[in-house]
Amino acid sequence: MATATAEKNVEAQPRQGGGKNDARRLRKSGLIPAVVYGAGQDSKPVAVDPKQIRRILNSETGHNSIFDLSLDGQSAKVMIVDWQFEPIKSALLHVDLKRIAMDKVLQVRVPIVLKGEAPGVKLQGGVLEQMLREVEIECLPGDIPGHLVADVSKLEFGQTIRISDLAHDDKLKFITDENQAVAHVTAVKEVVEAAPAEVAVEAGATAAEPEVIKKGKGETEGEAAEGGDKAAKPEKSEKKK
Amino acid sequence: MLMPKKVKYRKQQRGRMCGKAWRGGELSFGDFGLKVMEPGWITDRQIEASRVAMTRFVKRGGKIWIRLFPDKPVTKKPAETRMGKGKGAPDHWVAVVRPGKILFEMEGVSASDAAEAMRLASHKLPLRTKFVQREGVH
Repeated sequence: MATATAEKNVEAQPRQGGGKNDARRLRKSGLIPAVVYGAGQDSKPVAVDPKQIRRILNSETGHNSIFDLSLDGQSAKVMIVDWQFEPIKSALLHVDLKRIAMDKVLQVRVPIVLKGEAPGVKLQGGVLEQMLREVEIECLPGDIPGHLVADVSKLEFGQTIRISDLAHDDKLKFITDENQAVAHVTAVKEVVEAAPAEVAVEAGATAAEPEVIKKGKGETEGEAAEGGDKAAKPEKSEKKK
Repeated sequence: MLMPKKVKYRKQQRGRMCGKAWRGGELSFGDFGLKVMEPGWITDRQIEASRVAMTRFVKRGGKIWIRLFPDKPVTKKPAETRMGKGKGAPDHWVAVVRPGKILFEMEGVSASDAAEAMRLASHKLPLRTKFVQREGVH
């Protein structure tokens, strides 16, 4: 299993100005705004290459990768702790980088990967549902695993895999409740075709309005009076015709 | 058909739908999803038609999540009515969507089946959509 310490180096440039217009200009020039903080030092706004950051995020160790950040001739071990994507084109907009002390334990979220084919799905016709995709652990930066494996090859219908069942070594400690379910095999709801009569009833039901939350007695009386006026109005319009 | 159980007011104004979906734009439950690429209203009937198209295609196997809810009432005046005399009666419900929002999610099926189910669902919708899937899922 790959650990998160990666042999990568990312070049960062110091950044001036913190407004949205500066950020927009920076993005147009091909870089993205980022911020470096942690390890008892002041936070620094920087600009980084989004391609390098994306390569790290898409690597085997993902956002838990620890890499070198070169800034003003100095190098520091950092990790990506937060990142933002544009919702339509999925372009990287901003990243938060945290300085890491290699001798201090830290808490990180590690992805869970399901391995094997569950007999509950293959033989008993259930659906394998993964409820938890990441687990929070505590360990030294050098011991962060790329992912944790959940073996589902013995998972039968109705059975559940919990965090305590995940294969791991003694170097890491689970922060998330060990009793929490990771994946289970459940039944699939049968698709019942509605009869035409039922469909008609359902269509009629849509005409019904939801309950209106009423505030006080005075207002309800007012509404009733208003309703009375409205009821009278259509008659008038009919007369006009 | 989906609709709220309780509302504070029976009628609403149309509102604006500029901007992008800065929330609800990532896969949260399943491995596959359908992302909307333009802003618009999706009615309760369209959501139901999409759901039926997806569940019919996947039959047994697969779990579906609906990530949008029609909570906005749309009013309509009766046919052959003169203008004026106040706002019409509530007619149906719509969900306001902005580009980038995930409409449906699916899990427990192959990528090709999910893509086909989402394609069928997208034909029931009035907006341009895109099939998305979690990285590393085949």
